[in-house]
Amino acid sequence: MNPFFSARGYYKENKLNVYGMKKKIGKDPWFFITLFCSVTVVTFILFPLIEMVTQPSLQDLKDTAGDTDVLRSIWLSIYTSGLAAVISFIIGTPFAYLLARKNFFGKKVVESIIDLPIMIPHPVVGIAILGLAGKNHWLGQFMQSIGIHIMGTVTGIVTVLTFVGLPFYVNTVKTGFEAIPVRLENVSRSLGASMSGTFLRVTFPLAWRSMLVGMIMCCARAISEFGAVVIVAYHPMIAPVMIYERFTAYGLRYSQPVAVWLIFVCLALFILLRIVSPVKEKSGD
Amino acid sequence: MKRIGLLAKWIFCLSLFVVLPLSPMVAGAEPQGDVVIFHAGSLTVPFAKMEKVFEAKYPKVDILREAGGSTKMARMISELNKPADIMASADYKVIDKALIPAKAAWNIRFATNQLVLCYTDKSKFASEVNADNWYDILERKGVIWGHSDPNLDPCGYRSLMVLQLAEKHYAKAGLYDRLIANRPKKNIRPKSVELVSLLKTGNMDYAWEYLSVAVQHGLKYLLLPDEINLGNYKMDAFYKKAEVKVTGKKPGTWITRKGKSCTYGITMIKNSKNPEAAEAFLAYLLDPEGGLKVLKDMGQPPFIPCRVSSEKIKTDLPGSIKGLVEVKN
Repeated sequence: MNPFFSARGYYKENKLNVYGMKKKIGKDPWFFITLFCSVTVVTFILFPLIEMVTQPSLQDLKDTAGDTDVLRSIWLSIYTSGLAAVISFIIGTPFAYLLARKNFFGKKVVESIIDLPIMIPHPVVGIAILGLAGKNHWLGQFMQSIGIHIMGTVTGIVTVLTFVGLPFYVNTVKTGFEAIPVRLENVSRSLGASMSGTFLRVTFPLAWRSMLVGMIMCCARAISEFGAVVIVAYHPMIAPVMIYERFTAYGLRYSQPVAVWLIFVCLALFILLRIVSPVKEKSGD
Repeated sequence: MKRIGLLAKWIFCLSLFVVLPLSPMVAGAEPQGDVVIFHAGSLTVPFAKMEKVFEAKYPKVDILREAGGSTKMARMISELNKPADIMASADYKVIDKALIPAKAAWNIRFATNQLVLCYTDKSKFASEVNADNWYDILERKGVIWGHSDPNLDPCGYRSLMVLQLAEKHYAKAGLYDRLIANRPKKNIRPKSVELVSLLKTGNMDYAWEYLSVAVQHGLKYLLLPDEINLGNYKMDAFYKKAEVKVTGKKPGTWITRKGKSCTYGITMIKNSKNPEAAEAFLAYLLDPEGGLKVLKDMGQPPFIPCRVSSEKIKTDLPGSIKGLVEVKN
């Protein structure tokens, strides 16, 4: 063996990287496929949005930003979807925990039920909820007698948005819980902590990031909901309903600016949320 | 041998794909293809029936209907350039103002209607409401009543006109403002027929609708005096006293609509993609034994024969329709 042999020289000569794989991958077809698909996907998403954002004139954007009806509807959209996300957090977390930890008879059916709101056509959701809330149904009669009104109210909007956003939260958080080893919880229980104590002091601190991502997903889904909300509540107008109303009443020119402002506001919110949730370090298990 | 047989089958199938699409050109003058009809929401039930009858008569035709507030549908044609062959409006003036002359050349008045107050037996005070006390009941707190959006639907501004005329007819000053005060914005819907489902699910107690819609959907309704129900053209001079402001072409602009008896209008859109089939449908619709009979049976009195406003318009009409209209103002 040549005493002056060096592994480093060998790697350099043969153009290998530290794992011994060929560095130059230029001629590999997988590289080109990946590149092509990535560019296509990003363009597919960005192109229509960039078109829409650049179409309105700056004057139109300024006028729309000053319109109190538009500002009110964007604010309504934000806070109803925020409320929907919070409600999903409160009632969805224990349910997601159950789905992550326990295997029970009919679990697959329950998981499919949770996915139902995703596939049901949106107007159907609105019609179903409106049917329940009317005086012709016992639930509607009960709710109206205690003062809860669904048709044309913020309560109705939040109900619908929670219905469509819940599956997104539950599925995200369930995956988050599944990634936490049961061992850690078992250790905690074996040391004497209660179920509640274990959840609050062991599981929650490890899972809060996936809960935040789940709330973002739920919020994003809720903010864009149109078909179900327009059936339950045309007024007060959330932003998607206003965009549609302006489109049908005045045309593209007056509805695009509202859409642009909604996109900007939502983008800002979501970027902020992602900044606030720091990147998870590798758990190294 | 087997291979040749297979090849022959493939050539035959492929040639069908080439020949069949070309066959419409060979088939002759029978109406065929798609006909896109934009129409008022209140015409949905009769037009659905007419669609079935017409498609049974001409199986190669596919009628594609889209319903909505007539103002909105007309704007979709005029402002958004959505392709349509026929436009049927609940207010013929919408066609005159929004479509003529850029998108249409003539306007045929084909039916009338009147406004009624609809309710169900689950509505509040359903057992005591009648033609003398309806305006007191609508003022009561807790009664949920609504109408369609005046900016998108003629039924919306007509409902408001009925209320204004009621104030004058019953000589109750301030009635209109008091009624509107008891009608929060959430009780307004873009299309009048949406109010029907709200009534039926018990989410609304009273709604302003056309008589034909009430009949077609099996709702209870109150008939109102001719002076206020916008149903009798002889009362036009009184109807004119009602005025409603609706939004114009741009946000922040307004148009004033004056009261007039409910007159439905229909027209063919210029540069329609399928003028032959559209004309055939109009010939069926305007036939006293065809479409007009369907309207009559469904509670909507048609004009028999249909009317145009001048001799010149009559001469401009397509051949098969000319004989079905008369000139009357």
